[in-house]
Amino acid sequence: MLLGGPPRRSPRSGTSPKGPQSSTGHVHFGKSPQTWPRRTRPRSPGLAAPSGVRGSTQPKRRDFPRRAWLTALSRYGARLWMGRRPSLPEARGPAPRSAAASRASRSLASPETSPSPLPATTRGAVAGGGSVQGRAGAQKEVFPGQGAGKMAAPMELFCWSGGWGLPSVDLDSLAVLTYARFTGAPLKVHKISNPWRSPSGTLPALRTSHGEVISVPHKIITHLRKEKYNADYDLSARQGADTLAFMSLLEEKLLPVLVHTFWIDTKNYVEVTRKWYAEAMPFPLNFFLPGRMQRQYMERLQLLSGEHRPEDEEELEKELYREARECLTLLSQSLGTQKFFFGDAPASLDAFVFSYLALLLQAKLPNGKLQAHLRGLHNLCAYCTHILSLYFPWDGAEVPPPRHTPAGPETEEEPYGRRNQILSVLAGLAAMVGYALLSGIVSIQRATPARAPSTQALGMAEEDEEE
Amino acid sequence: MSLVAEAFVSQIAAAEPWPENATLYQQLKGEQILLSDNAASLAVQAFLQMCNLPIKVVCRANAEYMSPSGKVPFIHVGNQVVSELGPIVQFVKAKGHSLSDGLDEVQKAEMKAYMELVNNMLLTAELYLQWCDEATVGEITHARYGSPYPWPLNHILAYQKQWEIKRKMKAIGWGKKTLDQVLEDVDQCCQALSQRLGTQPYFFNKQPTELDALVFGHLYTILTTQLTNDELSEKVKNYSNLLAFCRRIEQHYFEDRGKDRLS
Repeated sequence: MLLGGPPRRSPRSGTSPKGPQSSTGHVHFGKSPQTWPRRTRPRSPGLAAPSGVRGSTQPKRRDFPRRAWLTALSRYGARLWMGRRPSLPEARGPAPRSAAASRASRSLASPETSPSPLPATTRGAVAGGGSVQGRAGAQKEVFPGQGAGKMAAPMELFCWSGGWGLPSVDLDSLAVLTYARFTGAPLKVHKISNPWRSPSGTLPALRTSHGEVISVPHKIITHLRKEKYNADYDLSARQGADTLAFMSLLEEKLLPVLVHTFWIDTKNYVEVTRKWYAEAMPFPLNFFLPGRMQRQYMERLQLLSGEHRPEDEEELEKELYREARECLTLLSQSLGTQKFFFGDAPASLDAFVFSYLALLLQAKLPNGKLQAHLRGLHNLCAYCTHILSLYFPWDGAEVPPPRHTPAGPETEEEPYGRRNQILSVLAGLAAMVGYALLSGIVSIQRATPARAPSTQALGMAEEDEEE
Repeated sequence: MSLVAEAFVSQIAAAEPWPENATLYQQLKGEQILLSDNAASLAVQAFLQMCNLPIKVVCRANAEYMSPSGKVPFIHVGNQVVSELGPIVQFVKAKGHSLSDGLDEVQKAEMKAYMELVNNMLLTAELYLQWCDEATVGEITHARYGSPYPWPLNHILAYQKQWEIKRKMKAIGWGKKTLDQVLEDVDQCCQALSQRLGTQPYFFNKQPTELDALVFGHLYTILTTQLTNDELSEKVKNYSNLLAFCRRIEQHYFEDRGKDRLS
């Protein structure tokens, strides 16, 4: 759907300062690019022009004529997308291109949402981002730029469907989805509400282009990073360290409380969480699965917070909530007046923080003590709405329509359900009539109507005989 | 503690100055204490040294059971007992001593975040290594953990604790990790700490804070504890500024005072 990023087509670019070799200053999460011996042919970066057709099956071998065609196409694409940098395709200098690429890889992922030309370059330039490495690779024979080119099949993400004004109601799914949006990763997103239909049995789950299934959220993000969809590419080492630290803070302080608010707190659970899950899941899962999920979460929370005696539960709860409030205040102070945590471009930390905060803000909880505190922190609220409106405009903007998505499967199932009902009634009737006929309680005589009373008597006589 | 009780305790705490006979309880140093507990205890000791508060270390075999929260170390000050670094820091603050007063809000947030990072990654990795790595468990942990108790209690307690830790690991998603992945996590954590420390003497430039105490406690213990394999300490040794940091704190706060508690 997108034309190839221009930078991709140039195999002769100079060393990119942002290539793998220059990453010493950057924090690597997961394996460094150098360890990916993706490329077998040194000429591939030009061939990584499947960039344009991201997600489609790309033949690994490229012919020269096709390459020429693709390069022409990408040049056209360059003019179309990189409005501000018409010389880009021709530019040999790595700096402008990598700058554009990096900027684009950082910036908004969805071109449809942003009016400015810069984000529009994202698609091309994220491909560009990938190709930056590809190009550097052309020089140094390392090549992950091949990433997009090598994808035989698109990556598929299975996650919980949306509700409450959010693209997904589950914390992990939302975090992964947001990260994917930030980086513009070409994922085929399946929003389902039946965890048994996901390839790994749990949600979220990512089916990579090689067929393997990853279901731990952090591993999903690591995989996306490996595939060159890295939102943390431009972070300094110190910021990368801060990311790790803040994610630990979120996990330790905020996660238990979030789990408690949604799953353990009785009022919230019954009125909001269980209701949503029970409505969204198909029969017969909706009877036992929410309860099972609740038990799992409760067990996890108990293990995390250590053993406590029942009478201490209230104390523990208060302590948890106090720490969570403190954590939120800390987050608010760290964010300050910036648009994202590390400047103007979203990073993976933003994805996680957003998922926590958005769930807390958007769900209409009857017992919303933490929600009230969060609403008091205005910069965090603005941050959430900003991200929602920018990256999930069709999901977040309208609250009622997302209701239709969980209702979607319902309405489909309703006529189905109605038909089931009618069928079952008919089946019951048929069974009763059949039994009556077979056992002789009622027998049908096709003789003359005059015989009818005697038939009746005959029927009753038979009954007496039976008795 | 509930808010009311906490306010009450703070009031009482604030009322009395730090006594001379404050004691810190931990398990037996030579035979019983494990890596993670030693790290925690050292962190508290370092913190109190940094605050210039005298503390006497007492080793008891049942320290874990004496502690109000089940975790060591805990301090006995006046007529109060407080366990774990977090509450101890707050308690000490109520008494009027604090290391992080000079930090602004953003720095305080960073400090808390890094402390959580250490707890989340380093401490969990230590626990994993001690209790989930079969080699270490068999050779070191079981023997040490149950050493003060007669047979068969020593085995029973050790297995019970191991089972409990394994459950916790599974709950936080570390159950499926291999040792190599855990070591990689440790490496990432050390890298993050090293990058944050940079070339400064302490994490927040000139003055040490509780973060420094915590990091010192863990890193020093990792560096000086003999395990079945040295991979964990090797990971830390890769970062020279962390080594220099440990050395600096050891020299300044432990050796200089003339009391060598880091035998």
